[in-house]
Amino acid sequence: MPSPSQPSSERTPRAMVIDRAWRALGPGLEALSGPQGAPLTRSVKLIVLPLVVRPSLHPDLAADFLEGPQAARLEELVRQAGDPLRATAQWFTRLKKARRALGVVAGNPQDLYFQPCFELATRYGAPAAGADERARAVVEELAEAGGGRTVEALKDHLADPDRQARLDAALAAPGGARRGDRAGDRGALSADEQRLAALALDALEACGGADGTGPGAAFTALLDGAFGTLVGRLLWARTSGLWGRDDLPTHLELTAHPRPPRPRVGRGASTATLPAPLDRTLFERLFGVLQASVRREELPPVAELVRREVGRSCAPLGLHDESLRVAVVLGGRLAVGLDPLGGGDPELRRTAAHRVVNGRWQREASVLRARRMTTGPDAGGGALAALAEDLRTPWVPYMRRLWVRLHGRDVREAAFEDLAALWAVLDGVARSVMMDHRARVRAALRALSVAPAAGEARSA
Amino acid sequence: MAGERRPSGDRPPVAVRVARAGDGAVRVTAATGGAEAGGGAGAAFARLVLDVAGAVLRWPGGVRALADGAGSGLPSARIHDVSAAQEWLWALYGVPVAAAVQACALGEAGAAADLPAQPGPLTVAATRLAYGHWAARWWPASFPDRIPALAADLLGLERAASTYRCQQLFDGSGEQFDDCAAELIEEHEAGLDPLIAWWHGGVRDTASAGRVERILRLVDAAADGAGLDGPALRGLRTALDRRPPGTEAGPPRPSPDLGALFARQRDYALAAGDPSAAGGRVIARGTGLNDWRRYPPGALDACEDALTWTVRALGARRRIEVEALAGVAGPWGGPPLVAEITVDGGPAGRIPLTARGDALVGQAEVALPAAGPGRIEVGVLLPGFDPGPEPASGAVSGVALAADPSADRAADRAEREAVRGSARRRLARETPGAAPAPLLAEAAAAAVAATDTEDY
Repeated sequence: MPSPSQPSSERTPRAMVIDRAWRALGPGLEALSGPQGAPLTRSVKLIVLPLVVRPSLHPDLAADFLEGPQAARLEELVRQAGDPLRATAQWFTRLKKARRALGVVAGNPQDLYFQPCFELATRYGAPAAGADERARAVVEELAEAGGGRTVEALKDHLADPDRQARLDAALAAPGGARRGDRAGDRGALSADEQRLAALALDALEACGGADGTGPGAAFTALLDGAFGTLVGRLLWARTSGLWGRDDLPTHLELTAHPRPPRPRVGRGASTATLPAPLDRTLFERLFGVLQASVRREELPPVAELVRREVGRSCAPLGLHDESLRVAVVLGGRLAVGLDPLGGGDPELRRTAAHRVVNGRWQREASVLRARRMTTGPDAGGGALAALAEDLRTPWVPYMRRLWVRLHGRDVREAAFEDLAALWAVLDGVARSVMMDHRARVRAALRALSVAPAAGEARSA
Repeated sequence: MAGERRPSGDRPPVAVRVARAGDGAVRVTAATGGAEAGGGAGAAFARLVLDVAGAVLRWPGGVRALADGAGSGLPSARIHDVSAAQEWLWALYGVPVAAAVQACALGEAGAAADLPAQPGPLTVAATRLAYGHWAARWWPASFPDRIPALAADLLGLERAASTYRCQQLFDGSGEQFDDCAAELIEEHEAGLDPLIAWWHGGVRDTASAGRVERILRLVDAAADGAGLDGPALRGLRTALDRRPPGTEAGPPRPSPDLGALFARQRDYALAAGDPSAAGGRVIARGTGLNDWRRYPPGALDACEDALTWTVRALGARRRIEVEALAGVAGPWGGPPLVAEITVDGGPAGRIPLTARGDALVGQAEVALPAAGPGRIEVGVLLPGFDPGPEPASGAVSGVALAADPSADRAADRAEREAVRGSARRRLARETPGAAPAPLLAEAAAAAVAATDTEDY
């Protein structure tokens, strides 16, 4: 680590300023610090930056590098927060104790408790009499967060047979939205469809550049032309040819049927057997939303959630918001050019967004070799070879993950305000798909390496 | 021991370059031996990599340079998210390099001048973590080569501790593959009790003594932070509470037998020739290619001639018998490995291998040219695992595929031999400047091997 006396340039990394100021606070922060006294990454991300430094109030402290005066101000902010931070550390220890006592195991305690602990510290100071009860209450409350917006509540709500029948009738009503124009099936692309394809490529070219996203003209044009809705309707009409490859269905496996079927109500779901997104029942669609534990309190109450989902599940692409439908279009165009194995059609992967995502896949392949975590297509290769085969159709997991994420946004009414926000999701989904794959390879290899020991134990 | 405890001021600065790659990534590479820093440098089994927030780190020269004390120990970095990387760049390389990366990302960089990078404690810790991961994947355990296996649980806990020690490098989002302290602890919990016993019994080896306790405390802190719980971890907490740092627990207890604590080398029962395979006239025999990249860790003994084959003539028929020496930790119990046979460069045939004693064996009839047995090549692989040859990826700058496959094979063989040499020297602690300082798992393996030699 560079010593403070080092002839430093006048600008200092913000992370280093925080590190120094943190260490200068002295003992009492162990519960929030790493083994060498540096703040834990999560302490910086969840406490110091958002609650102490607050770059929204101090925009000049939002940079990765700080000039001398800004660095001094940041140090001062941290110094002044010494008492609350030490109290936060003590509260965190209490909450972990309460968590163990209550047998709570879900979630990462740092993610869950850091911010509530800072709130406790600013409100009550260091833990005093009655602190253990208070800690218990916070842990219990966080464990039950969501205010009744749970899968159980959904199950109860849909258990009523009359309600089931009413909802089913509503889903069956021939909404105008579902009427497609079959005349266009398999024919040449219409002028709108051609314009759509060109705009999608322009938008993807603007994404993923070295400087983030370029001007959002193409995105605005896609929005204004309601091209997301157009693709949603094409799913009911045209079965192929939309994505620049005749061998790919228009729906990109968002449904297992030639066209998305009309949604049912459903009364159960399990993560392992969820069908393709547009084949999901109302129950299954909401199950995904309620299962994600993050910010459930922001959701509408269950009855309202169900009411809105009826309309949404009949809407094009199963989404209400146009910017989210456009995201399906851009995601689809990106997905058909994903090339984890290398050597795909260059025409399909020519945008800046493709270069970013495919570059990451190829580096991943090299790193996996160094990790001795490889797979290869092989007729006799079992589960491992099946994982390698999955890489030949990367758009399937990509579109599924993307849809789930967009649906979650739609439920929360979180439209995309600009192309940059949309690209962050497209890129994030690409990363998630890669990490999913990697996790499955790891699990498959772990299953192999466990086998010998088990075999020996049996024979012993 | 020299190594980790040296104050950072003693470590000389290393000249590095900061430059922008074609795809917008920023690269930090050693100013000398820059070609080495490329994506595909060296065989996969000699590479040290670490996936960190916003970047991938690689150690130039891989495991050999490190183990032989030849490199600076400074990793090169390929940074795809500069903002994320700014959380740790200053601690890994020093402020001037962090500033140069920032300037480069903003397009302000001038001429590619050399910069002084100052390796710090985080650099040492990251090297240790990357090496620990390498050892878990590629350690060349071999019975004939007398390179003992490393105890997997001990190594796993050590990697967990190293991961937590390097927490600054990870952003806690779960997106970095190597940010896996909690998973490692859960997977290798079984190593906790032996490690505590080792600690309580007194660690004879002074280099390891402090490290055992440090690892236990790091594992405890990492488990606590991640909310892990269970009997083994509660046992650890109790043990640590009972003996605060620096206090001796009464009179010295007898040193425990390390071999009993950590998986001991198995006694080998080398397979006798299968009677059913006898008979016929031997018309050719040879050694196959033991390519570590084609099967998972531990499936085969890592020695060069772990794979042997014999062709017999039975009347007009020709039969090939393949025998592979099983891994040091025990016979492979996963899905069957297969031997791949090619004759005179023709299409490859496969023979499934089955366990017999400490070997994996298989046989099949082969069609051989009338003129003679021809050139027979034999390899072993796990179908579905074997990744095939590595493509000359776009990330690799100017490394052409060798035109001559036999030159490739010779280079791979030399590389494997070099890796074995490094492993032996590390076990014998022959290279004082080697980084990182010996892993506990290496110290335990060396101690067990030393006791075992008495039995030979």
